[in-house]
Amino acid sequence: MTVPPEEVERIARLAHISLDPDSLQTLTREVGAILEYVAQLEHVEAADAEPFRPGPAKAPLRPDVVRPGGKPPLPAAPKFSDGLYLVPKVGRLDDTG
Amino acid sequence: MTTAYEAAQLAAARIEAAESSGLNATIAFDPEVLLRQGREVDARTTPSRLGVGGLPLAVKDNICTVEYDTTCGSRILENYRSPYEATAVSRLKAAGGMVACKSNLDEFAMGSSSEHSAFGRVRHPVDAERVPGGSSGGSAALVAAGAVDAALGSDTGGSVRQPAAFCGVVGLKPTYGRVSRYGLIAFGSSLDQIGVIAASVQQAAAVLEVISGRDERDSTCADVDPIDISLDRQDLDGIVVGLPAEYFPSDLDPVTRKACDRAVDAMRRAGAVTRDVSLPHARLAVPCYYVIAPAEASANLARYDGVRYGARVTGQEGGEGVDDLAAMYRATRGAGFGAEVRRRIVVGTHVLSSGYYEAYYTKAQIARGRITRDFTAVFDGGVDVLFTPTTPTTAFKAGELLGDPVAMYLGDVFVCAANLAGIPAISVPIGRANGLPIGGQLMAPVFAEQTLLNVAQVMERVVDGDHELR
Repeated sequence: MTVPPEEVERIARLAHISLDPDSLQTLTREVGAILEYVAQLEHVEAADAEPFRPGPAKAPLRPDVVRPGGKPPLPAAPKFSDGLYLVPKVGRLDDTG
Repeated sequence: MTTAYEAAQLAAARIEAAESSGLNATIAFDPEVLLRQGREVDARTTPSRLGVGGLPLAVKDNICTVEYDTTCGSRILENYRSPYEATAVSRLKAAGGMVACKSNLDEFAMGSSSEHSAFGRVRHPVDAERVPGGSSGGSAALVAAGAVDAALGSDTGGSVRQPAAFCGVVGLKPTYGRVSRYGLIAFGSSLDQIGVIAASVQQAAAVLEVISGRDERDSTCADVDPIDISLDRQDLDGIVVGLPAEYFPSDLDPVTRKACDRAVDAMRRAGAVTRDVSLPHARLAVPCYYVIAPAEASANLARYDGVRYGARVTGQEGGEGVDDLAAMYRATRGAGFGAEVRRRIVVGTHVLSSGYYEAYYTKAQIARGRITRDFTAVFDGGVDVLFTPTTPTTAFKAGELLGDPVAMYLGDVFVCAANLAGIPAISVPIGRANGLPIGGQLMAPVFAEQTLLNVAQVMERVVDGDHELR
């Protein structure tokens, strides 16, 4: 299965990952090979399929009671000031991909 | 009787010696931190639990600790210090265990060779030109080198068992839900499980006893008591060992096959009855895994964006100003993630994207259900444990598979199905070829660790794991 570099670039942009031209070329080749390999799932018969549910049949829940939370830890953020996460300005609305 | 301090001293010296030899199995290690824990354990008035009291353990660097940073082997979490520790780590410390060091791994546990670490590749303890397996390669190499007797790893698609097999030690992946994932940095949430790498089955069982059991901080952790394991079995009388045909293909490496045949013979002599069985959907395990795991990874790793944790890249990206939020995200994640992580995020984003979801993700979930039901049918049919090779080959050379991700993924062919089905599995050494270890894998029904570990312990005793095969 060949995936065009434009598609890999689009997906990488959706995933918020920048790629230089060399990385894009390598990634295009490798992602194409991986998708070609997993494409054998196409032949899985979907009729009578039961959905898979991982984990315990019933998720245990803890009692819904208020408990002291202790002192909140210091944020590990690269930029944090006065209780606020500092980030660059939000770009154009059409800038997310 | 050795004190915890003396055990800490010994481990510190051995870790230093292993690292001086170029193993590169640790990401963080400070002998003073270890010795301090030894003094604290000795100073306690309450007795430590047998087997773990005074035990120094290496902890894979995707498991949160307060003594050291938790980097996941990634630049994006370089210098990240968790404000809390994993439940498994807290329980080990409460039982008298000590965090000896943080062990090196494939970045975010994605890999089968421990070559994908931002802090350099881990060397195989027998042959430095080879890989120790992955992703818990640092933990396995440290145990194999004798630096520590036990280590914590994580197993999403074989990442405890495969490096244990490559390094000639024991690797245990418990049932999904047996051990809390609280504090294990998420990769594939429906597959991830904290596991144990140890020098012996008994040591692995002792660690599992301590780290298992319900945890209100992880709702996927089963509501069951910590397991109490009695390794009292002397033989395998009455045990039915299933041999799935799909795990012994005609092109299986001949030496691996020979090692498995020897192990099966030894188990029969110990009283086991073997039965040929079939897991008809086994061939779908690797493609299924390499859709589901990247899909879950692409969602889990969305949180690393340069805002709340770790690194933020402030450079120019494609002419875009970095004072723009989306450009900062892309620059940070592009520079902070290594090639394998980027690859998996892109694959995961693709298989979840509109137009492809049904073809890949839905089909993978259907395949997962069938793979799981194959196991259930075999176990319901009277098989107590399944025996298979852990890996198709012994440890390969560093760099050999780096340019071919699909070939690397195929190395997980015998291990990833246990994660898809959530069942417990263990790798035990069953021989060597040219000095390189070979592992044999046992798998059991969900929450049947008691049986699994008892059979493994007998197998460990009746099969010489150091026997050189030709």
